[in-house]
Amino acid sequence: MSASVGKQPLYLKAAISGFVILWLIVAAFPFLWTVWGSFKVEADFFSRVGWWNAIVGTRTELQTGSPFTGDGYYGAWVTRDFWRAVVNTGIVTISVTAISLVLGTLGGYALARSGHKYAFWILIAALVFRAMPHITLVSGYLLPFFELNIWGHLATSIIVLVAINQPFTLWMLHSFFLSIPKDLDESAMVDGCTRFQAFRLVVIPVMWPGVITTGLFSFLLAYNDFAVTSMLLSQDNQTMVPKISSFLGSIQEQGNVMYAVAAVVSATVPLFILVLFFQRQIVSGLTAGAVKG
Amino acid sequence: MPHKTFFWFILPSVVAMILFIALPIASVVIQSVYVEHERVLVEVENCGPFGCSTEVRVDTEATEQLRSEQPLGRFNGLGTYLNRAHLAVEEVGTIVSTSASIGEALTRIYNLPFYKAFLFTLIYCFVVTPLGIMLGFTIALAVNTIPRLLKGPVIFFSLLPMIITPLIGSLILYWMFSSNGILGATLQTLFNDPTLTLRQSPALTWITLLVYGVWTAAPFSFVVFYAGLQTVPGDTLESAMIDGASRWERVRFVIIPHLAPLATFVGLVQLMDNFRVFEPIVGFSSEASATSLSWLVFNDLVGQDSQAFGSAAATSVITILGVVILLTPVLIRTWRDFNAKGA
Amino acid sequence: MAQIRLKNVCKRWGSFVGVDNFDLEIPDREFLVLLGPSGCGKTTTMRMIAGLETVTEGEIWLGDRMVNKLEPKDRDISMVFQSYGLYPNMTVYENIRFPLRVRRIPKEEHDKRVMRAAEMVELTDFLHRRPAALSGGQRQRVALARAIVREPNAFLMDEPLSNLDAKLRVSTRAQIKNLHHTLKTTTIYVTHDQIEAMTLADRVVVMNKGVVQQVGTPTEIYDTPANTFVAGFIGSPAMNLIAGTMKDGVFSGQNISVSGFNKSIAGEVTLGFRAEDANVATEGGEISAPIYSIELLGEATMISMRVAGELVSIKAAKDFRAEIGDTISASVPAGICHLFDSKTGARIEQD
Ligand SMILES: Nc1ncnc2c1ncn2[C@@H]1O[C@H](COP(=O)(O)OP(=O)(O)OP(=O)(O)O)[C@@H](O)[C@H]1O
Ligand SMILES: [Mg+2]
Repeated sequence: MSASVGKQPLYLKAAISGFVILWLIVAAFPFLWTVWGSFKVEADFFSRVGWWNAIVGTRTELQTGSPFTGDGYYGAWVTRDFWRAVVNTGIVTISVTAISLVLGTLGGYALARSGHKYAFWILIAALVFRAMPHITLVSGYLLPFFELNIWGHLATSIIVLVAINQPFTLWMLHSFFLSIPKDLDESAMVDGCTRFQAFRLVVIPVMWPGVITTGLFSFLLAYNDFAVTSMLLSQDNQTMVPKISSFLGSIQEQGNVMYAVAAVVSATVPLFILVLFFQRQIVSGLTAGAVKG
Repeated sequence: MPHKTFFWFILPSVVAMILFIALPIASVVIQSVYVEHERVLVEVENCGPFGCSTEVRVDTEATEQLRSEQPLGRFNGLGTYLNRAHLAVEEVGTIVSTSASIGEALTRIYNLPFYKAFLFTLIYCFVVTPLGIMLGFTIALAVNTIPRLLKGPVIFFSLLPMIITPLIGSLILYWMFSSNGILGATLQTLFNDPTLTLRQSPALTWITLLVYGVWTAAPFSFVVFYAGLQTVPGDTLESAMIDGASRWERVRFVIIPHLAPLATFVGLVQLMDNFRVFEPIVGFSSEASATSLSWLVFNDLVGQDSQAFGSAAATSVITILGVVILLTPVLIRTWRDFNAKGA
Repeated sequence: MAQIRLKNVCKRWGSFVGVDNFDLEIPDREFLVLLGPSGCGKTTTMRMIAGLETVTEGEIWLGDRMVNKLEPKDRDISMVFQSYGLYPNMTVYENIRFPLRVRRIPKEEHDKRVMRAAEMVELTDFLHRRPAALSGGQRQRVALARAIVREPNAFLMDEPLSNLDAKLRVSTRAQIKNLHHTLKTTTIYVTHDQIEAMTLADRVVVMNKGVVQQVGTPTEIYDTPANTFVAGFIGSPAMNLIAGTMKDGVFSGQNISVSGFNKSIAGEVTLGFRAEDANVATEGGEISAPIYSIELLGEATMISMRVAGELVSIKAAKDFRAEIGDTISASVPAGICHLFDSKTGARIEQD
């Protein structure tokens, strides 16, 4: 549908603009509202009087003397040690992304270059594994992990997330590797490389876009995970998402739900930044799967 | 690539998948046929100044020892699958034989925890998937016609509901829909019904959950279809125009057929993802009105005093079977394609 | 530098035969061209020599080593790919240096050798560009330079000119010929362009459907094609092939009758002759048929006629003029004719 398709009649143009604006509101408003509200007190964000209070901050001004307050953030980060969860999340997501990519590039490369039948079956098995609900896998881990005494550590969660992530990583990198001509590694091998040298010196340097895109999705998976991290991490090692969920139980009773709101906003910011900088890669990653699929 | 090289390249990945995906599935199957030990009871004779009496007591020490010697519990066969918390064969039998009407029977079956979760999971899956695809497709069509300069920002905001952490996304919506939140309060005013709250109205809970589902699912379809639209052959579109096709007919006869393979792909991915719906139930604290299969597993595992591994495992196995059934059409097709190619 | 021996080499994928029983000895310093239509197994043969494809059956020898089990890097061969296989992230200089780097050749030598190779293919001005900033011909020369920067046992080139335009193809062809003359390295060159084959080769191997049809010098292949496939594949236009019967030394078919053959040959045969060997006759030629089409080529006039169900071409003088439909006569004496068995297609020797 290029521009040459012709001019739209005015009513259609208006309808389309209206629809896009409506969608934008639906997509973005919840975030803006929550970010705005996180700087208010609970009586404003969850106002019994009317939503106008949440915008102007009537109660906030009464309680703190200014229409904006950082109390929620202070409570979450300092009083409730949210910063520790942030550090843990950092460790988990970065390790998961790095390890996933190392394993995934090796495996994806082998799958893309092997013409044998078993490569096809490995891909199919990965597809089935990809469909497994994570919580069912978690229910398989718990008992063995208790018995082996490896429950609760960050390292365990990292390895589990890497493994859960592998099917997707393999598929995605596999299709990226397929788009790199075979001639490239074959000339490297004729020039004197082993298979691994060809992979490292010649193929990986031209694979960066694919690696970055896949890395983003590995990052998102680890960052967004709730099933694994909430079940496999001990209280001290909790990452942000399970921490927020544990806030809910205790905080709501004390009427301090604003801690949770502040934590939620804090946890959303990195995602915003990610989309801001890597929008193109995310879009290309989503479509890469579709085109091959 | 020689077998040996292939082996070394793929080894780490395959080992990871076998250890942490294939074995856990096996472990779940095994756990599902065991059940936790009952507490060891002992008869103790209490002799006091007023004579002796026997009393049955829990032998904590022996129980602990038994538990640590056989952590799996005791063998239970298919017992867990059939009990009240799962397939509830007996209860269903009674209900069918004692209910006056089909409607009553169905209501009573629905009140069994497993069937309740199963129904919600299915409905969520088959409502959210098509609605998400349709909404995504419409957005893609609309965004495709707006000025180029605006496309970037629009895509940016459109991506947010998709990449947001599911638990966080559902919390954000939950707060807005709660009775003191902006949307919840507005709904109450609109319907002039102060009892219309998430806590009291199962219907409202279901609807908000489905709305959340569509909200997070639509951007994925949108992005894929939008990318697909960029590859619609311009020549075909222009010849359709010359042939006199109206705007709608061009969508119907050129664009939709072009995007159909993508729609299959998107549909499958979304079906699989929606089948494991879980975080929104936690986020919306909706367990009183709506639960899902994954949530049942989760609930067994976080059990306050003891974790019900056997029960969680049985639900897991049933869920995995569900996934496999959803996947069979794909697998059969792939198998056919593969054989056709090989022959 | 070394000779290459292929002993009954076969390549099969399942039941599909890619290369069947390829048996050939290539002496040191020879320029050998593999020629054949698309899909006939040329690339497969070459990739087996390079070690990029396993050999299903048979042996490949480089010099006095049996290399079937050797990795490509241990065969010491260099190869030019059809799509060049340049490393897009490296400059031209780095591309050419790469084989030296991975083969652990002492660093001091690199610069000297890279510069020499670059000079040979006239690339010295582009050394700091990346492949993406080069034209097709320049990329082609980078691939050549990368192949010649070390002294390998042999060069393998897979249709190296097929992505170039006609003019560039001629000049690069000359350059390759000259390089071979200077370096004298055994070279195996794959093409489906017979002009390339004829101009470059010491010997040509004609293949079809994985089977070697004929091995010989370009002249041998042109003058005495071993079967109807080679006859029909080599030459432009291809040799005219006409089915007919031979009796008492006379070949006859619809619109044609040629006498003067050896009387011992009899039965169904295929007669072949080249358009440039035949002539338009004023009267009483062996062929007499109406003109089907007439094309002015500049240096000659090409006439085609329908003979025994086939379109037959004959080259006439450049000032020959006639109308479509005019019946003319052409002289095709037995001396310019080739005879082939009509069943097997194999050449029938006349003496
Ligand atoms: N990996 C493979 N699996 C199955 N068949 C293959 C494989 N590689 C090549 N073939 C088949 O082997 C035959 C020979 O292929 P090859 O590439 O050698 O042809 P070619 O002579 O180089 O043709 P072209 O001139 O088109 O390059 C072809 O029919 C091809 O389809
Ligand atoms: Mg080829």
